[in-house]
Amino acid sequence: MNEIKQRLQDIVDRDANHECSGIGKHALCVRAVAVADLPTRFGDFRIVAFWNNRDAKEHVAIIRGDVIGRAEVPMRVHSECLTGDALGSVRCDCRDQLEAALKRIGELGEGMVLYLRQEGRGIGLLNKIRAYSLQDSGLDTVEANLALGFRDDERDYAIAAHMLKSLDVRSVRVMTNNPNKLEQLKGYGITVAGRIPHVLPPTQQNRFYLETKAKRSGHMINFGGETRLSEQSDTGISPESAG
Amino acid sequence: MTSDVLIVGAGLAGLSCAKVLASAGRTVRVVERSRGVGGRCATRRIDGQPVDHGLVFLHGRSPEFLAALREVPGRWCDGWPNAVRGTGTPCQPSAFVPGTHRMAHALGVSAFPKHLAAGLDVVLDTTATGLQLGDDGITVRANRQNEAISFTGADVVLALAGPQSFALLEGLPPSPGRETARAVLAMMPSVPCATVIALYPTSVPAPALPWDIWYPETSTALSLVAHDSAKRDAPRRLALVLQARPSWSSAVVGGDPSEWAPRLLADAASIIGSWVAQPVTWQAHMWRYARTSPECELAGPLVLDLGNGRRVGIAGEVFAPGGGVQAAWQSGIELARRLLDEEYQ
Repeated sequence: MNEIKQRLQDIVDRDANHECSGIGKHALCVRAVAVADLPTRFGDFRIVAFWNNRDAKEHVAIIRGDVIGRAEVPMRVHSECLTGDALGSVRCDCRDQLEAALKRIGELGEGMVLYLRQEGRGIGLLNKIRAYSLQDSGLDTVEANLALGFRDDERDYAIAAHMLKSLDVRSVRVMTNNPNKLEQLKGYGITVAGRIPHVLPPTQQNRFYLETKAKRSGHMINFGGETRLSEQSDTGISPESAG
Repeated sequence: MTSDVLIVGAGLAGLSCAKVLASAGRTVRVVERSRGVGGRCATRRIDGQPVDHGLVFLHGRSPEFLAALREVPGRWCDGWPNAVRGTGTPCQPSAFVPGTHRMAHALGVSAFPKHLAAGLDVVLDTTATGLQLGDDGITVRANRQNEAISFTGADVVLALAGPQSFALLEGLPPSPGRETARAVLAMMPSVPCATVIALYPTSVPAPALPWDIWYPETSTALSLVAHDSAKRDAPRRLALVLQARPSWSSAVVGGDPSEWAPRLLADAASIIGSWVAQPVTWQAHMWRYARTSPECELAGPLVLDLGNGRRVGIAGEVFAPGGGVQAAWQSGIELARRLLDEEYQ
C-alpha cells in the first residue's frame, strides 16, 4: 500500500472506536470507515466513506493527493443532487459544479471534495420535486422554497467540519461563493485560510430561479445575468476563476 | 376586537406561536373551535378518568421540546409505551428511532397544551369561517354558538390542519402568494383516523394486559390499540383506544359511528380477545384531519406578505421536520420568530 493511502487507512483504524461529544447543535460525530482508490475521469482520487451518529446518510470525502496534516487544502463541499449529479438535469448546475471542482482539484494535484448525502438542502428529494412542480406551474416559488427547505441556512456544515477534523486537515481554502459557509466552518473550529471564488455561466432554464434566490441570500456573485441556478448552497464554480 | 396577532387554532402550533409572540410583548388572541385547547393532543374525561383519544403518546428528540414538556406539572410516564406488541407500522415511525424520547402524562397528553395556554387569551367554542383583508388588518369572521363574530389582527396565523388553512385562504384576494400557499398546502394531504374509546371492568381480562400499544400487522382495519389505562394512577376502568388505518377511516368518514365503531371493536376482539367486543361503554370520534402522510414534511412555516404590514402566517405539524407534536410545536415557534424578525427589517 502506498504511503498516503496507508495514512488514510491509519485514520480509519484510529476511528474504529472514535466517539466524541460531537459538533453543532445536533452533536454530530462521524467516523472514517473505509478508504479505497477512486480513479476518475478527472484524475486519480481516493475515497473515504464516513458513518455518522445521527442518520443513515453515508457521506464521503473524495481526496486527491496528500491532505493529512496539510494547511490551505483546496476543499469543496458538495451536496448530493440526484437529478443534477447523476441524471444530468439542467434545472440546476450541480453537476457542472461537481465536475468543475473535481477537475480543478485534479489539476491542482491536492485537495478534496466532501460529498454530503443531503439531497435538496437536507429536506429530501420529494420536496425538491415538489418545488420543481410548483415552478412548472409558474408560481412564485420564493416563499414556497423556504418552506420546502431550499434555503441557505439549511445546510449543516457540522458534518463537513468533523470530516475535516477526522482527516487532520490543518486549514482549508474553500471553493465557495457563499460567505456564510466560511463563517459556519470557522464556527465549528475549522481554520479557513481563504476562499477560492467561482462563477459558472448561466443556462436559460435556470436563470430566473437563481436570480430570485440570489436576491434573498447575498451570495458573493455578480448577477449581471452570468450566473445560473444552483441547488448547492455554494453557487457557481468554474475552473477558470479558481486558484 | 383588534390584536397584533390573531391566531386561528389552539393546537400545539397555535399555542407555541402565541406564547413566543406574547412573551415578546405582542397582543395575541387565539381563536379555537373546540371546548378545549390542544387540538389532536386531546384527552377526554370519562367518569373522571382521562383517556387520550387523539395522539396516544408524545415523542420528540429536540432538547428544547423535551425541556418544554418537563415544565408541565404532574407525573410523566417516561418511555411510554414501554411494552409494544405487534409488528405493524406505527403512525409515526420516527417515534421509535433510537434517540427519540417517548412519554405520556398521567393526567392525559392534553396537560401539555393546557400548560402552554395558561396566561394566553384563548377564545374557545369559536369557529373561524372566513378571512377578509382590511385596510390595516385582516379580519377573521367566526361563528360562536350560532352568532356571527369577528376578530381583527395586523397579522393572522393559521395553525390548523392543512385543508382547513387551504379553505380559509380562499377569502383573501387572489395573489401569487396566495396561490403558492394553496399549492403547497394541496401537496400535503391529511389522512383521517376513526377512533373508538372502549372501557371495561378492570377485572377483565385476567391477568392484566402485558402491552401498552399493539400495532397489529394482520388487521386491515386497525392501526393501533392503546392500553390507555396503563398510563393512569389507579384507573377505575380498563381503557382501550382503537385507532383505524387511514384507508379504513376514509371509507367511513361522514358515516354513522354506531355503524363503524362496533366493526372496529369486533376487529380488535379478533386480535386481542373476545372480551374486547363487549365494553361497558364506548365513545367514537372521527379525526377528519388526523395527521399528514409520512411523506409530507416541510422545513418551515409559510408567511404571506399582503402589504401594509398585513401578513398571514401558516404553521402546523407539516411545517417542520420530524412529524407529530414536536413538529407542530416547532413550527409555531419558527413562525413567531419569523413574524417578529421581519418587523425589525
